[in-house]
Amino acid sequence: MLVRYIATRLVIGVAQLVGLVIAVFFLIRLLPADPVSRLVGLNPSAEAYAQAERQLGLDRPILTQLLHYLGLAPEEGPGLLQGSLGISWVTGSPIVEEIGRHLPVTIELITLSFLIAFVLAVPIGMLGALKPGGKADRGVFIYSLFAGSQPEFWWGLLFVYLFFFTLGVAPPPLGSLSPLTSPPPEITGMITVDALLAGRPDTFIEALHHLMLPVATLVFILSGPIIKMVRQNMVRALRSDFVLYAHCAGLPRWQIARYALRAAMAPSITLIGILYGFMLGGAVLVESVFSLSGIGQYSVRAVLSFDYPAIQGVVLIITGISLLIYLALDLIHAVIDPRVAY
Amino acid sequence: MPRLVPGLVPALAASALALTVALPAAAQSLLFLAEDVPAGLNYDGPAAAIPTSQTGMVNLMEPLFGYASAGENEDGIIVPNFDEFEGRLVESWDYDPDTLTWTLNLRQGVMGCNGAELTADDVVYTFARAKSVSGAAPIGWFLSNVASIDGFTPDVFGDEAARELGDEVVALDDYTVQIRQSEPNALFLPVMTIFGLHIFDAEEMNANATDDDPWAHDYTNNVNVPSFGPYCLESWTKNEEIVFTANPDYYLGAPAIDRVVMRRVPQSSNRVVVLQTGQAQLAQGLTPREYDSLRDAAGVAVGGVTGNENLFVHMNFDVPPFDNPLVRQAVAHAMPYDQIIANGYFGQAERWPGVVPSGYPGYHVSDSQYDQDPDRAAELLAEAGYPNGEGLDGYGDAFALTYVAEKESTLGPIVNAIQTALREVGFPVTLNPIPQTQYGDRQLVQRDLPFAVNDQEKPIGVDAGYAIQLFFVSPEAGGLNNMVNYRNENVDATWGQARVEPNTETRNALVAEIQDQLMADVAWLPVVEYRTQWAFADDLNGMRWHPDNSVRFYDLSFE
Repeated sequence: MLVRYIATRLVIGVAQLVGLVIAVFFLIRLLPADPVSRLVGLNPSAEAYAQAERQLGLDRPILTQLLHYLGLAPEEGPGLLQGSLGISWVTGSPIVEEIGRHLPVTIELITLSFLIAFVLAVPIGMLGALKPGGKADRGVFIYSLFAGSQPEFWWGLLFVYLFFFTLGVAPPPLGSLSPLTSPPPEITGMITVDALLAGRPDTFIEALHHLMLPVATLVFILSGPIIKMVRQNMVRALRSDFVLYAHCAGLPRWQIARYALRAAMAPSITLIGILYGFMLGGAVLVESVFSLSGIGQYSVRAVLSFDYPAIQGVVLIITGISLLIYLALDLIHAVIDPRVAY
Repeated sequence: MPRLVPGLVPALAASALALTVALPAAAQSLLFLAEDVPAGLNYDGPAAAIPTSQTGMVNLMEPLFGYASAGENEDGIIVPNFDEFEGRLVESWDYDPDTLTWTLNLRQGVMGCNGAELTADDVVYTFARAKSVSGAAPIGWFLSNVASIDGFTPDVFGDEAARELGDEVVALDDYTVQIRQSEPNALFLPVMTIFGLHIFDAEEMNANATDDDPWAHDYTNNVNVPSFGPYCLESWTKNEEIVFTANPDYYLGAPAIDRVVMRRVPQSSNRVVVLQTGQAQLAQGLTPREYDSLRDAAGVAVGGVTGNENLFVHMNFDVPPFDNPLVRQAVAHAMPYDQIIANGYFGQAERWPGVVPSGYPGYHVSDSQYDQDPDRAAELLAEAGYPNGEGLDGYGDAFALTYVAEKESTLGPIVNAIQTALREVGFPVTLNPIPQTQYGDRQLVQRDLPFAVNDQEKPIGVDAGYAIQLFFVSPEAGGLNNMVNYRNENVDATWGQARVEPNTETRNALVAEIQDQLMADVAWLPVVEYRTQWAFADDLNGMRWHPDNSVRFYDLSFE
């Protein structure tokens, strides 16, 4: 049954992606700007404009462009069906390669941030829930509200000023590694992982050092809503009938806490999953502050330069990953919650 | 005095000298923080219009000609002498006005990064590639067309046969090239200095060509650009970092700085703090406020030049009420010039009394000038039929002052000052920040921006006539970027004369006449020329300004 459920979800996901690709294809062409004007730059003569338009393929009927993009007109060149997301109109590089270079940077950043945020948020949220209305709970509540409402770029800049410029304990915000360090051979695109795979512990430590401030910034911001969610669900769980029954049955406190936490985790994990999908593109400000060339930076550049293939590629990939995350969430729910079965 | 073993002193001296000679100079490296790194290295490719891509090209490639130095300015920045050309890859040259032919004698022994020697074939290849118009943005063809090189006409876009290079550019022998023009045109030498006609290493380019891409656009867009420049490419990660290493065989001598790392740091405030800690030695693309804040910082120097960057107000002749010259003059008299210089540029700008960069040959200051005079502005407005601005509300969004949203930190204080000053006179000005690409589309293609602030037009051809053709000649007469839809038959006709006038004095007089007309018509409202600035370590020497505003690492050295 489970395999059938996963297969059904994947088929629905592919259908959703196709619908989204077509919608995005037309929507970005409604934007009030023309990518050709950026391209011609120094030479805005009518002939050069027409030449640039031909080069981008924008002189062809829009349906022809769509068929080419989808890969249904292979005589025009490879498209989605052939595994090509097109060529960037800014750099001339294949979009697949560019996304393949930028996406791991973001995945590394936000995965590490979510792991730490989760590890911190669960005990803190539980602490607040143990005695609702107490001092600890009020402190946790205030922190979660405060952190969840802060602009990450401002805290990023503040951390740079404080920890790099003033205290000198953090590296400069110049990306994943020092300019003097040669990166490890690219295998996954995640510097920490590649450094370990290449057997370069010094590079691994340096990469972690460079991730310190961006991860701290994201943990500070992300932990707010997660703590809030854990606390609320924990409070609700601790007041539920099954916990009351467990108390009456004389179960030890640690075992009751474990049951309550399990019940509280399902909505918290849903929130983390949603936030993770959001942060794939939403970490852009932190990436910008710390000069990390992640997918957020890439997508902003694509939008600002009206690089249609890059915009379409980013939307497609991020949506695809989000759909997979939602599928994984549903499966995790089934593991956590015995009432859920597929 | 102790006695020394006879012969020891000379031996020690000789050893010391030998040691001095044998030891190479200490390796120097530079960390350069910029808003981006090259997105491409192909000047006929999609990234050619991006300034940081041009920085990559000019450090890896080499031109035929350059400008001689005019010495240092008050900031210690070396500035070019636009009246004196010097041969770069060309050792000597000759021009025959009867046949309109340039004979270029190339330097011998010029070696590229891949070990190939420069020959006439490299020059012929470069022009053949330009004429093929096979790239996304045919800059090489455009510049050749601007220089009136025979055969580089718009026909190439319609007729495939016209894209073949004929006898207009020929190699006479291994080190001699002849280039023929179709008409007299003073822009030939200025154009040859521009990055869009820097010379390729033909051998290496051909080695990286494919059947689908015979002119190696993919290679130059994504991998490298083989040429004869002072630096070679060590590594390049787009959106992140590019590393240059010195070309030890560079014909002008190996660069003083052996290795340059150009790192992308999107936040200008981070460029400032890293520079201040001494971990980087050069930064560009800061806001005027940030440059100002670094002026007194320890270990950091700020230098600049009044080059070709400026700010002007754009009023569209096709959009009422800007079709009324009295309205344009009223706006000009209401403009808070001094406030913009003081608060927008922290004193690093000057009033711009003309419509072409003041350092360009042929620049002329017209008698028609418009100082800030709110009373006069009010009078002109009343004379135009709008006393105290009454009736201007009926023009809808015409007074929405448009500017590039990405430049908010620089332009924000300026547009606010303009809005306040113009509102006091009666203009119902509102602010309209829009994205760069949308601005470019409306400026270049739609040409429908009614009222805008523009600080990004830098005519790359160093000549007043080039700037005039670019911005003010009507499209029908060959104008290229006439964003305000200015049309004046006299200007078109006079430029038609000036363009082919071989006598410099006569040409300058014609170009001055045009500038008088443009200022009288308020074709643009020139506001300020602001300084192109860099912040750098105070032991970094040799900073030099080039008209494309890209730093040449070859110019630099540490004390």
